[in-house]
Amino acid sequence: MLELLTSVAQGADSWAEVRYHARRRKQIRVRNGRLEESSSTERAGVGVRVLVDGVFGFASTTDLSREGILRSLRDAQQAARAAASSKKHRIEKLASIPPTAGAFGFDVDDPLDAHTLEEKLELVQRIERRIAASDPRIVSSSASYGELVDEKVIATSDGVAVHLFQSRPEFRTIATAGENGMQSLGMDSVGVCGGWSDMFCKRTAEQLADHAAKMAVDKLAAPFPEGEEATVILDPELVGILAHEAIGHTVEADLVLGGAITQGKIGQTVASPLVTLCDSGHSERLPHAVGTSPVDDEGVPAQRTVVIERGVLRSYLHDRETAAHLGVEPTGNARAWEYSDQPLIRMRNTYIEQGDTPLAEMIAGVDHGYYLKGLGMSGQADSNAEFMFGVGEAWRIDGGKRGEFLREVTISGNAFDVLKSVDAVGNDFDWEYSAGYCGKGQPAKVDCGGPHVRCRITIGGRQQ
Amino acid sequence: MTNDSLLERCRETLAAATTSGAEHAEVVGATVHRMTATVSKHDLQITQSQRETNLGVRVFDGNRLGFACTNRPENAAAICADAVAIAAASPADEHNVLAAAGDLPPVADLFDPAAEAFSTKDVVRQAIRMIEVATAFDPRVILGDAEFVAEVTERAIATSAGVAASERGSLFTYFALATARDGEKVSNFDFQFGAARSVAQVDVEPITRRVSENALGSLGAEPGVTFNGTVLLSPNAALSVLVSLIGFHASGMNVFRGMSRWGDQVGKPVACEQLTVVDDGTLPGGVGSSSFDREGVAHQRVALIDKGRLTSLLHNTYSAHALGATSTGHASGSPRSLPDVAFTNLEILPGDRSRDELISEIDRGLLVTRFSGNTNPVTGDFSGVAKGAFLIENGKLARPVAGTLIAGNAFEALQRLSGLSKEREQVYNFNLPFVRLESVSVTAA
Repeated sequence: MLELLTSVAQGADSWAEVRYHARRRKQIRVRNGRLEESSSTERAGVGVRVLVDGVFGFASTTDLSREGILRSLRDAQQAARAAASSKKHRIEKLASIPPTAGAFGFDVDDPLDAHTLEEKLELVQRIERRIAASDPRIVSSSASYGELVDEKVIATSDGVAVHLFQSRPEFRTIATAGENGMQSLGMDSVGVCGGWSDMFCKRTAEQLADHAAKMAVDKLAAPFPEGEEATVILDPELVGILAHEAIGHTVEADLVLGGAITQGKIGQTVASPLVTLCDSGHSERLPHAVGTSPVDDEGVPAQRTVVIERGVLRSYLHDRETAAHLGVEPTGNARAWEYSDQPLIRMRNTYIEQGDTPLAEMIAGVDHGYYLKGLGMSGQADSNAEFMFGVGEAWRIDGGKRGEFLREVTISGNAFDVLKSVDAVGNDFDWEYSAGYCGKGQPAKVDCGGPHVRCRITIGGRQQ
Repeated sequence: MTNDSLLERCRETLAAATTSGAEHAEVVGATVHRMTATVSKHDLQITQSQRETNLGVRVFDGNRLGFACTNRPENAAAICADAVAIAAASPADEHNVLAAAGDLPPVADLFDPAAEAFSTKDVVRQAIRMIEVATAFDPRVILGDAEFVAEVTERAIATSAGVAASERGSLFTYFALATARDGEKVSNFDFQFGAARSVAQVDVEPITRRVSENALGSLGAEPGVTFNGTVLLSPNAALSVLVSLIGFHASGMNVFRGMSRWGDQVGKPVACEQLTVVDDGTLPGGVGSSSFDREGVAHQRVALIDKGRLTSLLHNTYSAHALGATSTGHASGSPRSLPDVAFTNLEILPGDRSRDELISEIDRGLLVTRFSGNTNPVTGDFSGVAKGAFLIENGKLARPVAGTLIAGNAFEALQRLSGLSKEREQVYNFNLPFVRLESVSVTAA
């Protein structure tokens, strides 16, 4: 395949990028004792992107013959020409990269295929039963397993010849508790880049189940918080979510050029000097972060990009187009979800660097505030860095001690204001190991993390 | 691939499934030719073209179910074998049954032959029109992202229960996402969708004007005020806060799963009398219309909530079998997924007063253009940021406000709904009015 794609790319009469992507996906989901899904999905094809007269064109095909791929090349060129006369700002050039060649990601321990369908199904069934049996107040229980196994071959007319393999399993648990007409939800999940046993490198499937069930039950009797701006301690997962959703998207160079709040702010102080924020294609500090991508879909090797260094904005996240436009090096952030998707600027593993304050000391320093742990239902953010996240679990902090458990807490604010308010950064570090997907027209597997962080934030509550 | 050849491919795959050992099987196929023009910051970004055929196979080994799908139809025999192996490894479930064959009356105006002549140049032309409209509206508006998509589709289904059907469709969808920037001031973004089935109905101007107006409106927003009271939701915000909850609890699948509160509520009031909600997958030219659902059952018009009273649940074949009902033709999904239950074309019937009349009756309240948050489907608790929000004082829009959270419970909100506008907006396959709610918690940042 590499030979075929290389010959098509190098024979093109324009810049061309030819990407083969075969994906196998398996899903098993059990809810309330019933198998709701056991499925197998195969998707394979070739996406061709060309640059003609300063305009990108893209076409995709499932016909993997030389003729089929050449037809797609012509379709892509035709699509580019259709737009050429109307394009205002032509792409003068793409950032040059050293010719990248080789095989990446093939060294997976304990591959998913070494485990049978029966074994995977048995685990999902057993974990679902464990949630259901954990407490009489559990009214609904669900466990699911999913795997994405990707093989890619990328060749460009300017020397990229890459063969990439990625294996990403994930496991989810959901519990619903009910009592006296009240219902509440608990969930926990994990997603990694790696093999079967890597999936449970942090917590076992049983621990995920027990946590989801306890969360649901504990929320039943928990009170709502009052709305207020307060001092909070965010756990590594929420710190990562804030870094990804509220900061990360505003530094994606395509969104920067589209008017995001960070435009023109390189070199300016945008956060507390305690904050250093990075995005990396490697799994920094701890292995198996799910956004790990040793080479991106333009063939650019992964970088660790320092976005904010001790409070100062240092870099945006780039593909080859925006890097050339702004005169910097590409950062390896061009990613495509499937063969039929064009590469877009996407984050990988986004995190805040470790500080030096122990968690206990952080909590002890709060007279009135909240300890917030994990993402709840979802999170959203604007290109002006305003965000709103549902929080998974929340406790009051009173007199320097963690106290009452609360339900349905949301946090909001402007992420840069929040980062400026950071007055302590923990000496710990963890990845979320996310089973979720980032959405930007296409899904992407991303991870995020960091240490505990103390800051000021708006808590959404209820006004009586 | 032509319509008949896609159905023929489904029939051949059905035969392959039987050869692989399937007792019963269903093969669903879909072919799409899609052209897309993407806009970023007032400029064309990329033009794309895609052709793809997907085949999905469900096999039934007694009541054991296996599912596999591929986008490479030449691999049909291999996925049949996969599906048979999955079924063999799965526990039996008495409700895993094939849909019975029935009449499938054709739904009108789903395919416009003129769509076949639509070219990449035409797609580009529509994208440029969006740029022109936004630019002319106000120089402070930034059309951050916009997309125009033209699709010609073919769907087919063949089952061992005797279902054999195919249908062509054309669909044009477009969205625009805009912010406004004035010096250092950046507004919230707003986004709007539009859709049409025929070339003649394509009109990108209304959504582009609306997105521009909303982005501009939230420019210069200041912190709001904290109170518990009246909130007026735009159709877009009502979709996020209320309609997703109605869909979740009206789903027969969720009733069966024990996750819906409405399993024993059919015939009983679940909302105030002003609210009537209808779902109709047979609407001529409807974005969510088709002549048969994911399982080959005809869609139908279902009055879901009639004057506040829950009158029906939505079923696919599984939930209908499990709950002793009949499928309402609401099996959703594609060849790439197992059937679930979803709306087709949903409408909330309009009220008798205009949006401005609803505002004129509010002493203090909040107009919410977009809701950036979530509604917990289980509890109905909603909480999130009101985007493009305006403070309402003494019956008038007073000023735009930023960073304001709204929170409440959507079940209670349905009971306390105090007004629906006579104007409605088509948000993709939802036709919705402005919705006025009482006793919502509003927290200023």
